[in-house]
Amino acid sequence: MLSLNARLLIAGSLVLAAFLGLTGFTLDKAFRTSAEAAMRDRLQGHVYALLAASDLDKNGLMSVSKEMPDAGFATPGSGVYGQIASHDGKQALRSPSMVGLTIPFTLGLEMGSNRFERVIASDGTPLYALGFGLSWKVKGKQRGFTFSVAENMNSFYVQVNSFRRSLWGWLGGVALLLLAVQGSILRWSLAPLRRVSTDLAAIEAGQATQLEGRYPQELRGLTDNLNILIRASHAQLDRYRHTLGDLAHSLKTPLAVVRGAVESESSVEELRRTVQEQVDRMTQIVEYQLQRAAASGRTALAAPVNVNTVVERIAASLSKVYADKGVDFSIRVESDAVFYGDEGDLMELLGNLMDNACKWCHHRVAITALPLADIIHRHSGLELRVEDDGQGIPPENADRVLQRGVRADETIHGHGIGLAVVQDILRVYGGTLEVGKSELGGARFIVSMPGT
Amino acid sequence: MRILVIEDEASLREQLLTRFREDGYAVDAAADGEEGLYLGSEFPFDVAVVDLGLPKLSGIEVIQRLRAAGKTFPILILTARGRWQEKVEGLEAGGDDYLVKPFHMEELLARIKVLLRRAAGWSQPVLRCGPVALDTISQQVSAQGQTVDLTAYEYNLLEYLMLHNGEVVSKAELTEHLYDQDFDRDSNVLEVLVGRLRRKLDPEGVLQPIETLRGRGYRFTLARSPNALP
Repeated sequence: MLSLNARLLIAGSLVLAAFLGLTGFTLDKAFRTSAEAAMRDRLQGHVYALLAASDLDKNGLMSVSKEMPDAGFATPGSGVYGQIASHDGKQALRSPSMVGLTIPFTLGLEMGSNRFERVIASDGTPLYALGFGLSWKVKGKQRGFTFSVAENMNSFYVQVNSFRRSLWGWLGGVALLLLAVQGSILRWSLAPLRRVSTDLAAIEAGQATQLEGRYPQELRGLTDNLNILIRASHAQLDRYRHTLGDLAHSLKTPLAVVRGAVESESSVEELRRTVQEQVDRMTQIVEYQLQRAAASGRTALAAPVNVNTVVERIAASLSKVYADKGVDFSIRVESDAVFYGDEGDLMELLGNLMDNACKWCHHRVAITALPLADIIHRHSGLELRVEDDGQGIPPENADRVLQRGVRADETIHGHGIGLAVVQDILRVYGGTLEVGKSELGGARFIVSMPGT
Repeated sequence: MRILVIEDEASLREQLLTRFREDGYAVDAAADGEEGLYLGSEFPFDVAVVDLGLPKLSGIEVIQRLRAAGKTFPILILTARGRWQEKVEGLEAGGDDYLVKPFHMEELLARIKVLLRRAAGWSQPVLRCGPVALDTISQQVSAQGQTVDLTAYEYNLLEYLMLHNGEVVSKAELTEHLYDQDFDRDSNVLEVLVGRLRRKLDPEGVLQPIETLRGRGYRFTLARSPNALP
């Protein structure tokens, strides 16, 4: 894969080359045209001078005054040539500069017409030539003459070439300068990306825990999300580590009890009872720790979870499990109540709370979900209320219920673990759990999740 | 009552089989999903216990296919993963209840009883038909206020008849639901069992709770009593 730098540099250079090339071509063309026009103007001037210097006698013979209008006409090899030729071929006057040279001028031009052309002289020199046709009435007869002048193209070439040299020299210089500028702009613009990758490398090497630099706005979404991901994975790692530690430690006690029982000479009955008790205890520990570690936490890039679907699915499932009770669920989920996090976590949270409510209720369970306005964060928070019409939890017991592993009613299995799991999930998301009294008469659990 | 057990772990499957048989259930067991699906589709079960993590065909799929095939017997899901996501998926697939491993055998038995009773349309744990009452939780039976002492087979026979009270239950049906595949169907064990149950329930012969319809089967004649408030 081509690097961003190379891509931008190649693209930029191509555009630059195309632009400068076209510019140069256009300027060159324009200069040539104007130089040619200047040459034609000069030749026109020579023709007029030749006209002014020439005279026609009454016999219809053309003569040119001794003083040549331009010194060039008089000097052989000067590169400036003139010729006056009659259309009947009887007379042809050539400037002294044309001695020994034949120039294939176009002859016989009509009265008043001009002809600008490029011709090659007999010695091979390329020339620009201009012809002008004139005719006089002499003794009742028309006599036509063609006035022709030519100039060596060398001066023209010299001019054009020197222009080209300086033009392309300048353009090349500008191109090099622009490339250098472009290169440094690229280095400067892409520097934050390079910084992100060095910062990530530092995190990988364990020298940093966060992308801490200040990044431009375009990258901030990326780096913020990366930071959330990194934090989440760190938190998860911590959680796993703690859970593993907790698990190992909390298993030690029942194991010690079992070992003690095996080693002491108690009766088989007693041993069986002790082992049974400790197995129950270990089962509970494993169950609790497993569920605790499973909370996934917020995922920075996940799509929001539809709370209504989750509530409906759990309610449908619980209706089956508590079919005897015929639990009447009233569900009110506001359309903009969504959960930014793992769907499994939300299910676990709602599953435990709704399961408890079903255990405690007489007939009615109410679930409410509303978005929580959060001005600091991009996404709003979420409030979940789960209420039942059971006996409720006396305020003096409310704190106790929230304590880990304590069951408000020992006769209903698994209550304490459920709430402890809910609290562990909430800890991951930074949410809170409140216990209160519902208008239905029973307990009301309120979960508040902050925005993200 | 005939139970289908689909569980791949041999020791747990054996424990379940032993315990269910001790309690007088007829049990068939499968060690993988395909075998379980076959048994479930071919035999008339009253309840199934299905583990979710099965070889060949997952428990969820077995449940879905049984339901798709029109099987309506209640299904209890056993799962090692206690997350709600799995519970909900299992119940949505067609399960009726779930139990997370490890579990107490007593709890499993209690849940199965509830499922059986519910499937027969009784919403309370005590089945009451006139003077005969059967408590599915304590497994105690009383007739005319007197506690009746029943063996496990007698209890299961009575429970089956009471759950289907008013219906004619053929001998074949009873044999299928009370005994598993290995039972010798030609013996007259069933008639002996019914006779003993009649004597225990109704020693004076005034209630006549179990009627014999010659060539068709038996019927529990006493009507369901409206449930007393708990």
